[in-house]
Amino acid sequence: MAAAVSLKSKPPQGEAKVWLTAMGLALGIVMVAVLLGLILVRGTQVFWPKRVLEITLREGSASGSGPVLGEVMVRQRNVRTGVEEWLVHFGNKSKEDPGTSYRFVASGDVVSTREPLEVMVAERMEYGDAIFYPVRLTTRDGKVMEAADVDFPAALETALEKAGGERRQLLALERKEIGRISKQLVKLENGIKTDPSRETTNRAAMAVLQADYEKLAEQARGLRAALTKDVLRVRVASGGELDQPVGELLHVYQPNKLSQGGRLALAFQQFFAFLSEAPREANMEGGIFPAIFGTFVMTILMSLLVTPLGVIAAIYLREYAKQGLLVRIVRISVNNLAGVPSIVFGVFGLGFFVYTIGHHIDEWFFASALPTPTFGTGGILWASFTLALLTLPVMIVATEEALGAVPRGVREAALACGASKWQTIQRVVLPASAPGVLTGVILAMARGAGEVAPLMLVGVVKLAPSLPLDLEAPFIHAERKFMHLGFHIYDVGFQSPDAEAAKPMVYATTLLLIVLVVVMNLSAILIRNKLRKKYAAGTF
Amino acid sequence: MTVAIKAGGLGIILAVFGIFIFIVSQVLPLFRSARVAEIGTLDFGPGKVPLVFGIDEWAELPFYYDGGPEVVFVDAAGKKPSLKLPLALPEGAAVTAASFIPVDHLVVVGTSDGRVGSFRVDYAPEFAPDGSRRITPSLTPGEFYEVGTSGGAIRQVGFGDGGNTKVIAALQEAAGKLELHAIMLRQKSSLMGKGKLTKDADLDLTPMLTGAPQLLRVPRTGDAVIVTTADGLVDYIYLGSGIPEKRQEWHPFGAGIAIASIDFIFGDVSLVLTDARGAMDIYSLLVPEGGDQRIFVKTKSLPALAGPASFYTRSQRNKLFLTGSGRQVSLRHSTTEEVRWQENVGFDVRGAAIDAKGASFVLLDDSGKLHRFSLDDPHPESGWRAYFGKVWYEGATHPDYTWQSTGGTDDFEPKLSLRPLIHGTLKGTFWAMLFAVPVALLAAIYTAQFLRPEVKRIVKPMMEIMASLPSVVLGFLAALWLAPILENRVPSVFMLVLGVPLTAVLVGNLWSRLPAERRALIQPGLEWLAFIPVMLLAAWGLWQLGPVVESIVCQVKDASGHPVLDPATGKTAADFRLWWPQVSGTPFDQRNSLVVGFMMGFAVIPVIFTIAEDALSNVPASLTAASAALGASRWQTLRTIVLPIASSGIFSALMIGLGRAVGETMIVVMATGNTPIMEWNLFNGMRTLSANIATELPEAPVHSTLYRTLFLGALVLFFLTFIVNTAAELLRQRLRDKFKLV
Repeated sequence: MAAAVSLKSKPPQGEAKVWLTAMGLALGIVMVAVLLGLILVRGTQVFWPKRVLEITLREGSASGSGPVLGEVMVRQRNVRTGVEEWLVHFGNKSKEDPGTSYRFVASGDVVSTREPLEVMVAERMEYGDAIFYPVRLTTRDGKVMEAADVDFPAALETALEKAGGERRQLLALERKEIGRISKQLVKLENGIKTDPSRETTNRAAMAVLQADYEKLAEQARGLRAALTKDVLRVRVASGGELDQPVGELLHVYQPNKLSQGGRLALAFQQFFAFLSEAPREANMEGGIFPAIFGTFVMTILMSLLVTPLGVIAAIYLREYAKQGLLVRIVRISVNNLAGVPSIVFGVFGLGFFVYTIGHHIDEWFFASALPTPTFGTGGILWASFTLALLTLPVMIVATEEALGAVPRGVREAALACGASKWQTIQRVVLPASAPGVLTGVILAMARGAGEVAPLMLVGVVKLAPSLPLDLEAPFIHAERKFMHLGFHIYDVGFQSPDAEAAKPMVYATTLLLIVLVVVMNLSAILIRNKLRKKYAAGTF
Repeated sequence: MTVAIKAGGLGIILAVFGIFIFIVSQVLPLFRSARVAEIGTLDFGPGKVPLVFGIDEWAELPFYYDGGPEVVFVDAAGKKPSLKLPLALPEGAAVTAASFIPVDHLVVVGTSDGRVGSFRVDYAPEFAPDGSRRITPSLTPGEFYEVGTSGGAIRQVGFGDGGNTKVIAALQEAAGKLELHAIMLRQKSSLMGKGKLTKDADLDLTPMLTGAPQLLRVPRTGDAVIVTTADGLVDYIYLGSGIPEKRQEWHPFGAGIAIASIDFIFGDVSLVLTDARGAMDIYSLLVPEGGDQRIFVKTKSLPALAGPASFYTRSQRNKLFLTGSGRQVSLRHSTTEEVRWQENVGFDVRGAAIDAKGASFVLLDDSGKLHRFSLDDPHPESGWRAYFGKVWYEGATHPDYTWQSTGGTDDFEPKLSLRPLIHGTLKGTFWAMLFAVPVALLAAIYTAQFLRPEVKRIVKPMMEIMASLPSVVLGFLAALWLAPILENRVPSVFMLVLGVPLTAVLVGNLWSRLPAERRALIQPGLEWLAFIPVMLLAAWGLWQLGPVVESIVCQVKDASGHPVLDPATGKTAADFRLWWPQVSGTPFDQRNSLVVGFMMGFAVIPVIFTIAEDALSNVPASLTAASAALGASRWQTLRTIVLPIASSGIFSALMIGLGRAVGETMIVVMATGNTPIMEWNLFNGMRTLSANIATELPEAPVHSTLYRTLFLGALVLFFLTFIVNTAAELLRQRLRDKFKLV
């Protein structure tokens, strides 16, 4: 009864302050939600095909004159002037006008807009998207087809497919065949450097290779010429017509004709292209496959290194070392290493792995290539080593926790059965703590995948010409430089020639990286929770 | 197996500490003084003290010139006989003065019949396939020019090369007194290349002098003549405008105290002066505050020599110089004012030369013997003073903390003060913590004490995931999304910062005044959920209110103090970006500390939150239950029981958050301008230690001073975070022990 009376008469003391603390949590949650929401929306928007508007502007207005054909990316009110502005992506950059493909249009200057059905968007090899009205297609066998013809779409599709095939052939020719020859040439040249007596034989072999190269180059020229044979005549917004070789187009679509289902299908198609293609045009177009692959290989290499090291260190600390002042100090230090800034690990990696160890490896094994460094420069191996060190404390702490959670009774049972200490650890303790170790590995991988600062010092690059793992012996190229998702974000967002055009790419990459990291962390947390529950019950 | 595990475990732990040891080993050479060792001697000839001598880049083939018709090259290894190259002098003249300018490989001479001229000494190295080298010296004679009309002997010469105009200055005897002449030489450039030097003018500068001239120096730029007089005065005569003009005269050591030596340091902007007692001062050319001309100002004082300087030579690549008095030899660095090496040698030194690479030097004794010394001083510009003290760099008006590691010219001097970087690190950390600490602690308190357990199971992992968001993502959002928004909305941000907590207090007060039945509508532990819509509404209102406040408060004034009218609207222009520099005198940048503080705060919030929440949750339930049983409200329980017990845990959370903010790299690299400035202004950027490493280390040559300095920066970071984290860890362990007792 007393409680009820007090409730009615007076509120408990400090309730208002509880609301203040509630604000803290609300603020935190809202900020996380806004941030993740922003990345999610902006990141997925990139792939959704937008409608193309033909915008007629008032003559002589500040926004420019003539009709504009483009996608309206953003409609926003300028804070200072209060005028509504549209950011229009009109594409059609060209060799003659490589500037920007975006412009601001004041909504007050717009006379009318319409959505012409026949308008076409084409993704090109160079200079980004083109937006135009198709007029007619002239194929290499002399057929002429007007855009209004019934079989125009099918013919265009055929021409595009043919061009795609030729481009693939060309790429294979240049990358594989010609690349192989130039590699052999370098090898022979180095051979002469180390052993002058081989000069004549090597020179002869080089001459043969040179002849092969001429043949291949001729083939490549033929393919390149074929790519310009099919021509699409197009009309741009201003009314002018020009010829666009089909060989320069990757794929085309007519956004205003698409149904919602078609849009979705196209979005998925573009998303998969984003995941599987190599970047083009200073990384602003195309896909990010090499960055995904580089991140993946680096993370795997790193976890292969960090797992045994972390587990051994943790077993030593928890099971073998005498629990005294020394172990206490060591544990404090290991814990605190987790708090040492990642850039410091990068500095160490550069100074120790690259310039000290790498330099010596070069002197011992790759002397013929010097002064061009092989391991004496940043590469995926050194990056993995650096990140393994960086994540070692995470791994040790997680493993220790898992080892400590194994019930005493289980160990004693094993020892009572006559197992030695190592047998107990190997057969009983380690299997029981495997999920905990796994949690550590996942946390380490998540941390490694998201780090950028140390990688900038030890081997990440804007554009790697070849993957660190391929079908060429010795298959794993640990000395190669690599691309990384996190660095890709930094590079495209901050070192691009056209910041506005780079933004969609950055948001999409960011979304991918965030999803990757969040999924890894979530699974680690779930495993950990499950583990805790299991042993919470198991101790009794 | 046991042994293997023990070895492996210990090894790994040692390896982790190896990081620290390795970084220290890279940094240590910065604090080493110069290493000097005598490596041999050679004879110029018994008892011969030549007029001038010099050495080649490898110090293998020194030459000397005695004023006669030949130049002698002596093999330093003593294996080959001396090589004598003939030199044509004007007929009947003897050389009475000579000086060697190593950078130009030029020997300038003055003759007894009043003429000046020069010849070049070149060394051409040839490399054999087996890597050995052979050096072939050669002489290129130059023209001779008459000085004045008296035909008196030349006593001192100096040379400066100002591009198309070159100057040879000379002190010439005339009627028992010394006259000062400057011969201006012009080089005609034509399509065929550089033409011949012709005498353009013979300027008699004697009337401009204040006393009898003693020492004559010409800077390498050839735009001035500097002369000391017998009563200790220095005259600075500027020639750069074509008409000689006396810029300055001053007594460096006081009137009547004679000047023993005056010499230029590499770069020819600073003069080293000593007096008869050996006191050493450095004067540098600079435009003083309020002045409009470059004059010499005393910038540094170095430890005194044993007596008046009897020889001087300087490095050709940095600000090192070698000087001394009698038997004393001292290697000094002008910028850091440090004595790099000093010793008494067993002979009186008559002359010295440092080779072009700075790897060795030679000393000439009074018996014509040349003593060769190896010199190992790769990082003379480093040291405590350079990194943490104020340094008066050449050209600056006052000593300052400066970071500027690279420049455009060869004689650029790297400025490597770590103070602006440490300042930037602390500045970024301060603003980030200012934002993060209240939010994180309030959220942690609410989560640990008031939140419903089933919600907590979701909220906690969510915040942990937030902690793992890659900083490159946060940095990108800060720079490309947040910065452009905040740039226009600073007043709105201030409204939010003030308004949102106020709203919370207000809502809390109003709510707790409601009758209990109404209050039961929101169950305890769900207040935060109820507050979200209120907060969003309030935030929207405050956001809109920002521009209104701006239009009232932030009115822009023109130079005369009148309000500026906006041409578009006709109203008074109000713009925070323009208003802030006017009222505070500090600039406004788009990528500023506000943006960094917000995003870095965002990165730090989950770190502090997680650890603080753990500390708060670990307070034994028996204590809180007892408190509640005694009738304390949940706030009273928190304030009197939970907070005091968890305080050390909370403090440790703050420390770890601090450590994370100090080391954060990508957010700062992307969201600030990375300018190394020393201001606390919220509206401009900074450069932190970590961002500095990330931007400069990839370009730094291995083992260069910059490379090691960046390692030092990493070491400072390492220490900062290690100390902070260790303090936090010790506190946490104490906390754990405390709970064991309970």
